[in-house]
Amino acid sequence: MTETSRMTETGAAQAEAGQQAAAPPEPTPPAPTPPAPSSAYGALGWLRWGWRQLTSMRTALILLFLLAVASVPGSLLPQQGIDPAAVQQYYVSHPGLAPWLARLSLFNVFAAPWFAAIYLMLFLSLAGCVVPRAYRLARSARALPPPAPRNVARMPQSVRHQTGQDATAALAAATAVLRRRKFRLRTGDGWVSAEKGYRRELGNLLFHLALLGLLGAIALGGLFGYKANRLLVSGTSFANTVTALDEFHPGRLVSPADLQPFTITLNKFAASYVTSGQLRGQPSSFNAYLSYSAQPGVASQRYDLRVNHPLNVDGVKVYLIGHGYAPVFKVTDGAGKVVFDQPVPFIAVNTSGLTSEGVVKVPDAKPDQLGFAGVFLPTAVDAGGTLESVFPAPLNPRVSLISYRGNLGMNSGPSQSVYSLNTAGLTELPVAPRPLAPGQSIKLPGGAGTLTFAGYRQWASLAITYDPGQVPALIAGLAALAGLLLSFFIRRRRMFVRAYPGPDGRTVVDVGGLARSDPAGGFDEEFARLAEEFRVAYAGETSEGKTD
Amino acid sequence: MVINQGLSHLSDHFLMVTLVLYFLAVLAFAADFAFGKRSPAEPAEAAVPELVTAGAAGAGAAGAAAGAAQASAADLASATVASATVDSAKASGGTGRPATASRPGLRDASFWVRTGLGLTVLGVIAHIAGVVSRGLAVHRVPWGDMYEFIIAVTCVAVLFFLGLIIRYRPFRLGLFFLAPIVIIIGLAQTVIYTPAGPLVPALNSYWLAIHVTAITLATGTYVVAAVLAVVYLFADRHARRVAAGLPVRNGEVFRLLPTPERLDQFAYRTVVFAFPLWTFGIMAGAIWADEAWGRYWGWDPTETWAFITWVVYACFLHARVTAGWRGRRAAYIQLVGFGCLLFNLLGVSLFITGLHSYAGLS
Repeated sequence: MTETSRMTETGAAQAEAGQQAAAPPEPTPPAPTPPAPSSAYGALGWLRWGWRQLTSMRTALILLFLLAVASVPGSLLPQQGIDPAAVQQYYVSHPGLAPWLARLSLFNVFAAPWFAAIYLMLFLSLAGCVVPRAYRLARSARALPPPAPRNVARMPQSVRHQTGQDATAALAAATAVLRRRKFRLRTGDGWVSAEKGYRRELGNLLFHLALLGLLGAIALGGLFGYKANRLLVSGTSFANTVTALDEFHPGRLVSPADLQPFTITLNKFAASYVTSGQLRGQPSSFNAYLSYSAQPGVASQRYDLRVNHPLNVDGVKVYLIGHGYAPVFKVTDGAGKVVFDQPVPFIAVNTSGLTSEGVVKVPDAKPDQLGFAGVFLPTAVDAGGTLESVFPAPLNPRVSLISYRGNLGMNSGPSQSVYSLNTAGLTELPVAPRPLAPGQSIKLPGGAGTLTFAGYRQWASLAITYDPGQVPALIAGLAALAGLLLSFFIRRRRMFVRAYPGPDGRTVVDVGGLARSDPAGGFDEEFARLAEEFRVAYAGETSEGKTD
Repeated sequence: MVINQGLSHLSDHFLMVTLVLYFLAVLAFAADFAFGKRSPAEPAEAAVPELVTAGAAGAGAAGAAAGAAQASAADLASATVASATVDSAKASGGTGRPATASRPGLRDASFWVRTGLGLTVLGVIAHIAGVVSRGLAVHRVPWGDMYEFIIAVTCVAVLFFLGLIIRYRPFRLGLFFLAPIVIIIGLAQTVIYTPAGPLVPALNSYWLAIHVTAITLATGTYVVAAVLAVVYLFADRHARRVAAGLPVRNGEVFRLLPTPERLDQFAYRTVVFAFPLWTFGIMAGAIWADEAWGRYWGWDPTETWAFITWVVYACFLHARVTAGWRGRRAAYIQLVGFGCLLFNLLGVSLFITGLHSYAGLS
């Protein structure tokens, strides 16, 4: 590793103390850009040059910055992975721009090749820096500090004492202080050198290695984990199979057979809201009362699923992520046959009153197929001729519908969303727009049939996730934090003491200090304290001193 | 859980008192610059070279060592006033007093500075009372919406600042520090005030106490670091102009402030304190996100900007130990980080819809 390729330390690659005495302790030598090798170096020379560039601190800094900048569009533009509907909306509102943004992966920034390129380069740069340093740290783990330089007074911090004790005794006294302070010691003829704070480098390495570990944990989750969603109307059940899930996003190495075979029934969903005051209508609790069995044939258990309180089935977690109303409709067709009788999940379009929209498709109706686009209002209030919902709980539920007959277009063309109606083959029926209370019906004109708003149920939407990288990610995160604290709050420093007889027969003790990494400053104070302890230990007096 | 309206109103009153006290403190600190008497005990920067020269001369007996002492005198000219006095005292064979003894104490500060500090301390007591009573009113940690968060952040910032000036005595930074705090609290009380209320279910978790507390502490500390960076940039510019012999304005103000080196060091230490807290806050948030939403990281806008903020502050920490990036460039990076923090707090919460849209301002 070159002078330029270190991470946050300057000490690691510095020459031994003899030369260090002259050099300032902390500043990195002005990072020289390694000169580009001439063609004479050949491919190997270029490779080495490129590697040095990549693992240099400056490159790492620039890559870090790039990573931050590259994340910005991910937060400002709608993202496919987070809100696909918003991306569709963006296509509609910016028809010219959207395809270009899509081509640049700007709707999927965090999975974009260029985003991956930045973080992979960064992690490569990190690895190129950390691995050699880890090797060096391991070697230095038992190494002794270098011998004291000939002229200790040339250290950045130094003080000269005089004492009546002889050199050996003075040195022994200083050594005792250093030993008590848990310095690693090396003694020689008339000198002692000491070093402390190896854990700073250890912490620094731990932090950067933990970041690499975090990347590995994320990859683990991406390969072996999966995410799924399922909307469940109360009173119904589903089994955790690919066909029963509304959405399924498997990791790259996940097959449908890997899904844990549990079944879940939503017995009841309950929501409560603040009923008075300025915050009226704000939700105060959601409870989805579930029964589940972990495997077919295993006795079912009950669970009260709440937000912040997921269900864990054999390592797979089930979360409550949404809720809404599913009005129940009963449709009798023109032939007098009941062709539809089930709850239809409606999706909330506003949160304050939970006004919800949905569609009813009745493909089996004769003579013509029937379709309805509806609005469900939990607490309907007449606001100057239009109905609106003023509270999210069903205090005065109403449904308002537009009725169609014709061809729903379900047997041909692209697959349809269950939440939208393709009105191309349909004609709107002239029905008076009268909101229905539970139990009320509308008779469709022209003998098309009858629709009854039979009541409503609530639904809960569940997220099902499995991520084997979770625990490794947590461990990596904790290791990173521990490394950060070690590297921030420990400074690596050396103390040197030389004692020799002075011209007047008294012993001269030179004390020098060098902080190998002290960006926060403060070594000068520690040095002053230590030197003072030495002075007291051999009952000397100060003759001169300096700090850098 | 019933909201205690009486306590909630009490909290509002406490915070009004806080605002008034801080405002008076700003006036006092400003008055110090305008017409505070300079007590003779305060070491003026101009005196430093003489002190050091005296020390070096006293040590001049030993030939080789004298050279070292001269070199150190040159270094010292740019070092802090406080440590320079200690060193020169030591160099001239002084008693080797502990470093703290020579720091300018509160007794040496001017009347206006002492008034400002007294008002700040009273203000922060009222501030804490306001935060605590709000918490008691709502039966939870009092940082559940934007208004509560800003009040808590400013409280942390003032407390951290008081800690800084107790430890290092840069009393006169009070003006630059409290003025933005007054503006922030004033805006919080007028523009984004939210009455005390219960939490939405998404926030109803003990992780609120862990995650948001860490973020609050880190944010409050970052506020201090940002103020220090701004003051540093001005002080550094002043020092450069002085060194280059260019005309300067407000020389008196800068003479009374810590040296740029010292300000830079304060700022670094402040970030070093805040950064692990921020890291922990993000991690706690990830654990909570896993508990609430089923993934520990999902590039939600707030998460993304927390990450960007983390990266920029990491850049600052790396830049600070890299040649060619320390000093002004590092300070600018720190301010960019703070800008990201602010954008996350205000821009993302108010203008971008995400899972963290709890501001209570809809």
